[in-house]
Amino acid sequence: MSQTKRLLIGIVILGGLAGLVLSVEMWRGAALAQSAGAEATLTPGAVPIYLQGQRVAAFEPADLERLPLANFVEPVENKTQEGWLLYDVLRLYLPEEALLADTQVRVISTSRGKSAELTWGEIADLKNMVMFDLSGRGTLKLVSLLDRLATRDQWVQDTDRIEVNVP
Amino acid sequence: MTRPAWSGYFSTFQLILLALFSALIVVAKIVLRTPLQLPGHTGIFWMAIMLVATRVVPRRGAASVVGVTSGIMAAFLGAGDFGALNTFLSYTAVGVGVDLAMLLLPNMENLPQAALVGALGHTGKFLVKWVIGVVAQAPVGFLALGLARSIAGYIVFGALGGVLGALTLLALRRAGYFAYLAEKK
Repeated sequence: MSQTKRLLIGIVILGGLAGLVLSVEMWRGAALAQSAGAEATLTPGAVPIYLQGQRVAAFEPADLERLPLANFVEPVENKTQEGWLLYDVLRLYLPEEALLADTQVRVISTSRGKSAELTWGEIADLKNMVMFDLSGRGTLKLVSLLDRLATRDQWVQDTDRIEVNVP
Repeated sequence: MTRPAWSGYFSTFQLILLALFSALIVVAKIVLRTPLQLPGHTGIFWMAIMLVATRVVPRRGAASVVGVTSGIMAAFLGAGDFGALNTFLSYTAVGVGVDLAMLLLPNMENLPQAALVGALGHTGKFLVKWVIGVVAQAPVGFLALGLARSIAGYIVFGALGGVLGALTLLALRRAGYFAYLAEKK
């Protein structure tokens, strides 16, 4: 077989794999939107925000233009994390009266069975850099300079829900 | 007692070389940092090392051995965002992907072939991460183009790693390394 033919077959295989992944992901998004029922307004991939148990908003990709980018170099692996501060995200969607120093914010990853509980005081302290970084597969992961969110094991990868409770 | 048929497939010297390449991949992944904030950027050195390994030990399955060995090491060292199983499988997928791609594109000193093998091998890693995400019902990507950007990153950086590997092999050939190695077997 000639080299050109081999290269063409290789390129077709590569394109086929990429097409397969994107098609399945589009299908997953459509299936999610269909099964959402009462939450049908939620864009696939958006992260719903619940205040006192009621869904009041969703962190939508369309709103990213309204959020400044932030970054920090995490000390354990010396890796740069870049994304959007949870402080900016919550201020964008929630009323100020819900964001008191002792307001509890829970960031959850259902698929990974992980969550992180933070107070608004910790989130609003910008030196803690509590923020979402975009993971390699395009989902959000919560990272921070806080001791209890400093390592990979403690980050909340594949975040899909934010719960806010005002005491 | 009869020895299994596969027992002499790799010589001890070749297994030592493959183990060293495996360790090099894990060390490179942990130590080397690039300022790029793009998905799959580590494929540049990852695929380069993998391709050099397949030529230094020119036996079918060499890349898979490097993949499995580096996967075990990386899993024990806690590398990766998604747990030990994900880490082990994704490292293994790179090796298996390279071996499969080399059935079609065997000449790693040819730049276009090496680039494509690098891209295919690195895409194997992406596929494993994605399949595990789908099985675990991970949320769909936050950005509509997030996944497309990830795939493109894995392909481009894998291909660049392949080219870097091919250039390294050409340099090793010019330096007479393969003639030296032939005497060591």
